[in-house]
Amino acid sequence: MEWFRFALSAALTLFGLFVLVSAVLGVFRFRYALSRIHAAALVDTLGILTMLCGLMVAQGFSDATWKMLAVVGFLWLTSPVASHLIGRLEVTVNDDLAEDMAVADPALVREEKESED
Amino acid sequence: MARLRDDWEHSPWRNFLRWLREGDDALDRAMIASLDAPAPELREETAPEAPALPAEEPLSEKRRRRLRAIYIALSVLLCVGIIGVLVRTAGSLPSFGGAENPANNEVSRRYIEQGLQETGAVNLVAGMILDYRAFDTLGESNVLFAAACAVMLLLRALGWREGGTELPGHEPHSDIILQKISMVLVPLILLYGMYVILNGHLSPGGGFSGGAVMGAGLILCANAFGIEVTRRFFTFRTFQLVSLFALSFYALSKAYSFFTGANGLHSFITAGTPGRIFSAGLIPYLNLAVGLVVCCTMYGLYGVFRRGDV
Repeated sequence: MEWFRFALSAALTLFGLFVLVSAVLGVFRFRYALSRIHAAALVDTLGILTMLCGLMVAQGFSDATWKMLAVVGFLWLTSPVASHLIGRLEVTVNDDLAEDMAVADPALVREEKESED
Repeated sequence: MARLRDDWEHSPWRNFLRWLREGDDALDRAMIASLDAPAPELREETAPEAPALPAEEPLSEKRRRRLRAIYIALSVLLCVGIIGVLVRTAGSLPSFGGAENPANNEVSRRYIEQGLQETGAVNLVAGMILDYRAFDTLGESNVLFAAACAVMLLLRALGWREGGTELPGHEPHSDIILQKISMVLVPLILLYGMYVILNGHLSPGGGFSGGAVMGAGLILCANAFGIEVTRRFFTFRTFQLVSLFALSFYALSKAYSFFTGANGLHSFITAGTPGRIFSAGLIPYLNLAVGLVVCCTMYGLYGVFRRGDV
């Protein structure tokens, strides 16, 4: 049982590490702000979840488990919202958005820019 | 000499004297006037004396390269010198955890062995910074307060005074996602900040960290719901009052306990039962005072940097 718990927590932690490393790679290798947000935000929710799950399994069930769950909840609430705001700012201030990437609906981008003025 | 007299009209010293005599408005008017009319006659008068100076030649390519090489060599030399000094210093430091280290003296031994009985604080760090070394912490709170005062002096917008109705600065329109999330998070963050402050003598934390958490909660609230919402309970007046009362309470209560302690007088402040929420003498109240000052300062700094007013 003990070795199973260790193996599970090690697997979860390693998977979390892999996810976080790929997020770091994406943040530094992607060229545009929106792609970087994609790498950073989407991946760090999963990475933090798996890392903390690994810690929970390693720790065993105790008071700290609830605290870690609270940490996961807090980060899942805040991190996507922060990325959403950064993405919105990028759409608002970047005038060459259509040159950097494919814009599905140019009217929406224009609307966003005008509503901010 | 002629130049000196010409510049006199725009010199800082002259502006200062005018400000002393006539106050803010005259200075503003003078500055606006000087900006509108950039004294063309000054240049004409000084121009005849100027030919004494040789016209500045553009640097030749060779010379620029040589200067660049010297610059790089000097900066490398400087960096290597600083690194050498630091490495030498680090090499002569006492080893970590050694029994003979200067940090292991009777002061820290006393803090650890008798801190619980003498201050009543389970969190020994709180006992140290708010009881043994409370004078130090008062200074830190005052440094923060002085920094906030300086920033407000410099950044508070000139046109916006008490009693004005229109807020200066650009207010971005709020985001619905941020608002919904903030509705959940802001109360939790504020509650957590209060918990950290009020439990400062029992668990890790205290005034500085808890105040920073509460300040962050207020900033989030202002960001999500707009400044009108936070202005309902937090204006510049609130900042002034809270800072004044918290810092004076700190100074006066510690003055009392220093006075009685130094003179061996009986003090009504006792350590109480360690571990209880109302224990550890003055420490919970001092934590509260420090926390309020930190919270108000954080939020105030955010306000003046963003809009020029709290």
